[in-house]
Amino acid sequence: MNEVAVRLRVNGRDVTASVAARRSLADFLREDLGLTGTHVGCEHGVCGACTVLVDGRTARSCLLLAAQLEGAEVTTVEGLTPAGGLSVLQGAFRECHALQCGFCTAGMLATAHELLAENPAPTRQDIRDAIAGNLCMCTGYVNIVRAIELAARRLRESTAERP
Amino acid sequence: MRARSLDEALASLDGDGKILAGGQSLVPMLNMRLVRPARLVDINAVPGLDAVRARPDGGLDVGALVRHTDLLTSPLVQARAPLLAAAAAHVGHRAIRNRGTVGGSLAHADPAAELPAALLALDAGVVVAGRAGHRRLPLAELFVGLLTTALAPDEILTGIEIPEARAAGWGFAELARRAGDFAIAGVAAVVRGGPDRCTGARLVAFGADDRPVRLRAAEDAIVGRAPSAELAARAAVEAPRDCRPSSDVHASAEYRAHLVRVLAEDAVRDAVGRLAA
Amino acid sequence: MTRWVGAPLPRKEDARLTTGRGLYLDDVARPGQLHAAMLRSPHAHARVVALDASAATRLPGVHAVLTGAEAAAASRPIRPLIPTPVPLPDWCLAVDRVRYAGEPVAAVAAVDRATAEDALERIHVEYEPLPPVVDPEAALRPDSPLLYPELGTNVLWHDVFAYGDVEGAFARADGVLRERFAIQRYASTPLETFGAIAEYDAGLDAYTFWTNDQRPGLTLAILAESLGVPQARLRLVTPDVGGAFGNKRRPAYLLVCALLARRAGRPVKYLEDRLENLGALMHACNGVMDVELAYRADGTVVALRVRDVADEGKNLVSPTQHNLIKLGNIVNGYRIGAVAYEAYSVLTTKCPSGANRGIGKPFMCFAVERAMALLARRLAMDPAELRLRNYVRAGEMPYTTPPGAQYDSGDYPATLRRALERFDYAGWRAAQARARGEGRLLGIGIATSVEPAGTNLASYELITGRRAASGSAEAAMVRVEPDGRVRAALGDPASGQGYETVVAQIVADELGLTPADVDVERGFDSSTTPWLYLSGNYSNKFSVTDVGAVLGAARAVRDKLRRIAAHRLEVAVDDVELAEAEARVRGVPGRGLAIRELARTAYADVLGLPPGEPPGLEARHAHQNPLARPVGADRTVRSQLVFSNAAHCCLVEIDRRTGAVRLLKHVVVHDCGRELNPLIVEGMVHGSTVHGLGAALLEEFRYDDSGQLLTATFMDYLKPTALDVPDIEVDRLEHPSPFTPLGAKGVGEGGSIPAPAAVANAVEDALAELGVTVRSLPLTPERVWRWLQNPEEVR
Repeated sequence: MNEVAVRLRVNGRDVTASVAARRSLADFLREDLGLTGTHVGCEHGVCGACTVLVDGRTARSCLLLAAQLEGAEVTTVEGLTPAGGLSVLQGAFRECHALQCGFCTAGMLATAHELLAENPAPTRQDIRDAIAGNLCMCTGYVNIVRAIELAARRLRESTAERP
Repeated sequence: MRARSLDEALASLDGDGKILAGGQSLVPMLNMRLVRPARLVDINAVPGLDAVRARPDGGLDVGALVRHTDLLTSPLVQARAPLLAAAAAHVGHRAIRNRGTVGGSLAHADPAAELPAALLALDAGVVVAGRAGHRRLPLAELFVGLLTTALAPDEILTGIEIPEARAAGWGFAELARRAGDFAIAGVAAVVRGGPDRCTGARLVAFGADDRPVRLRAAEDAIVGRAPSAELAARAAVEAPRDCRPSSDVHASAEYRAHLVRVLAEDAVRDAVGRLAA
Repeated sequence: MTRWVGAPLPRKEDARLTTGRGLYLDDVARPGQLHAAMLRSPHAHARVVALDASAATRLPGVHAVLTGAEAAAASRPIRPLIPTPVPLPDWCLAVDRVRYAGEPVAAVAAVDRATAEDALERIHVEYEPLPPVVDPEAALRPDSPLLYPELGTNVLWHDVFAYGDVEGAFARADGVLRERFAIQRYASTPLETFGAIAEYDAGLDAYTFWTNDQRPGLTLAILAESLGVPQARLRLVTPDVGGAFGNKRRPAYLLVCALLARRAGRPVKYLEDRLENLGALMHACNGVMDVELAYRADGTVVALRVRDVADEGKNLVSPTQHNLIKLGNIVNGYRIGAVAYEAYSVLTTKCPSGANRGIGKPFMCFAVERAMALLARRLAMDPAELRLRNYVRAGEMPYTTPPGAQYDSGDYPATLRRALERFDYAGWRAAQARARGEGRLLGIGIATSVEPAGTNLASYELITGRRAASGSAEAAMVRVEPDGRVRAALGDPASGQGYETVVAQIVADELGLTPADVDVERGFDSSTTPWLYLSGNYSNKFSVTDVGAVLGAARAVRDKLRRIAAHRLEVAVDDVELAEAEARVRGVPGRGLAIRELARTAYADVLGLPPGEPPGLEARHAHQNPLARPVGADRTVRSQLVFSNAAHCCLVEIDRRTGAVRLLKHVVVHDCGRELNPLIVEGMVHGSTVHGLGAALLEEFRYDDSGQLLTATFMDYLKPTALDVPDIEVDRLEHPSPFTPLGAKGVGEGGSIPAPAAVANAVEDALAELGVTVRSLPLTPERVWRWLQNPEEVR
């Protein structure tokens, strides 16, 4: 299997690697970089668990080949986590009980992050539209919608913070 | 392999190569081992294919690597081909739209996909690069069957040319099991003319045949008549004539044919409504 | 003191789970670990004529290959939870015959998964196809092809039960409602798939398993027996689990990993991909049910007769359980005095059926609640009124149903009334009438249910005639560490239920601490966690058994702390109470000792202990729910033990032109007794309800006539997204159970059991003008459209 050299930034750090051409970004993050916060739920791009941010936009890391990411900036849940605490979104997820098993959470956070970066005051319908590509098998989505609403409100009230 | 130029990409497409653009359809098939190309040619780094540009005739040139999300946010697309933006909104979910490309959607030729139908309704053509140079091809000639196009294995679809349609009325309607799924069936409509008379109509059904299909009988029922909701209903009755839907796990052929009628009515009603407005 | 129990405390585990710091099975990497892949049968039913894996063995990167024949030589068959009438050897890989498309026939361990999959393509299998058996009723026929010719039939179990004067009640009834219902295959499909890592220690001849298996007690027994090693040489560890819902059990996969690990001399990991998960792990049992309700003209239901055909697929892990468990909720919340139940448990060439959030009971509830809706229509009664007439009353608690289930507590009429109020039933009925006038199809559906918790394994005696296991129990450990902080562990590995938080709440109250002082071990480790054969994450059992185990251990430690404090303070033990991290003398402010100081005494300064008191501050406790008992001579059985209840009201609108059903509103009122953590309870109700809504509208594992699964990916097997379901509105009543230590009852299944019926009733109500009868699910747009074309159409 042929190897491809790739240089990219992951969570603000430069990464240079030689990867198998067929290695997915998800496997690259999890197995080569040890960033196991990104979860793989279906490997066919439907469940959204593996969603990460690529150049600030959400993408399924199971549908990207690591070799494609030359020059890209990838952000995973590890990169969305502030040192020594929870982000506004993470805190809202905890307070609203927006996760049970936690397997979908990293992808939900990436999706919510993109939403709030573009739309600081989403309606419940906006939120449901945004997260419709992320399956959660535990929560029935109710508390996830509440959490994103809460985070949006907090971010509006304190413009300094990131989602 | 990561191509840096069109020539490099074309040169790599010998034998069992496969073009990788957005990868939102191809990579799932790779993951499931349903396709196993000897070589993947990643064209994402090929310059010049990711722009939406205004054409002097009032139409649009859309690069093959333009992402669905860009169609949704582009003011040019909104102004000149709002039907395309409306169709793109139904494609998958945000993370898919961020990666999936217009060119990839056309080259993949899924008969239930939204963009091919919308572009066919807009009478778009494609620009295809090959080793011998470029050729142009109307969309109707691109789709030759289920997941099959007229592209040769060593050709690359580089762009889409959409003729001027600013004055046209448009409509788009689909029914999917869930938002973001491929449609069970859908209809894209472009109607030209004025408040008194429809002078032209292009209706395209998707999910209703082995490729997107023109609903010519319904179009004939529109042209020459005054735009109205009643006209939409009358034309819709003719809509199922021109498609041969198949049955699958989500719906029977009979139901799909019914949906084509219902959705044609919705799409035409919206299109003639916009025409009148 | 119950300061913490009952508080809506955000979860402790979320600090790691929101930040990507959880440890799920695939995050566990053992040194030198290999990755396994399984070769699976493309046929639903076939003889394995020849299998040649030599080319796979030669592929670089491959370390071990295991065929069915080799597995049969190296291990013993897997013992089923409920033995079959004739022993049917079930090895971890198919040996000479495959019985569903997707059944594993060989496995490879290689340096990575992709290489292992490459190797699978080099294994040559010659199959001789046999006729498939897809439809369970066809499987009953004498001329049906047989999965196990040695059994002589596809029927694993058939029996008839009668409780009370069924014939007399039917004879005296004013009317009888007869209907046939079916339920499809669906599954809760946890977002993390199932898998395991096995490590073999050749020096000790011992195995360690890392797995997200949700029933470690039972699985350890099976592994020991199949591998032929003492249980003392097995260790099973469960990390964070990404959802389970009953689906996560397949001892065969653990065995395959173990045999590969022994061959390769390296740890072997296997994790299902999603296609394997959807096609081969576990589907909720599909089936057909004939229901007869005998009623009086005033709407009183007097007797119920049920014939139930359960399609096990190729389930030899837990066969027959789908029938028997229905005796737990067969009369639902109603005072029906006579019940007859005929059970068929049938094998077919499909994916094994198994536990799935409510196991069997969603279908039982669907049939009864559909029948009640039809009866209301027949009698021109309001469906709420008909139910209120028939409920068991609060004053009758504890109430024993004819088959022997004991409803311990609750006020079923009050639950429904609250739901009607929250839903604004009267308001929506009026709105519905107006909408109908405008040609709109609005429908209101009611479904209510009892929600059993805790399984009494003694009930299987009804099938096998002997008692192999019985009761419902769990074990726990609480330990005040030498630094005064607390560690607790539970034999029930959580899969999202927040046990680390709830256990900490319980322990904190007992020891006068805060939940922040209590660390509850993640998951399960058989080498440190106390456990029983009955241990595990199943049957809605936390409140029924686990709470008692935790309380028992905490109270033993509490009492020891009090004894040590009394000795040190020279007061009577009864005068010592624990609060605010110290042992205090009641009524004497300022007189006390910090728990940390008492811990120092217990572990370090042991001469300061009361005479005869052993050092240390640790207790293990196992709790057996007191309601479990053996099968009665009259064949009455408490198959399940403690009963919550729920009422659902659902509003749908149907698009007349397309048949598409839109859920507009869904209200759930539930009563799970004392809510240990209301935040967690509400979340469980939301999620469980959406499982039921998915089954009602979207989800179906569909097979074609050749036994091929047609909905094998998440593109075709449709889970509800955030746009497919409304905000579930939840309200609660709290009638504590007298039979659980804190009065708590089960909460995981009160959504999934009645929700399918609620939606079906709403859709039928929307189509009332057409006289449609909903007999099966899911209610796809095309099915509804067909009814709109032809109301008589039965599909």
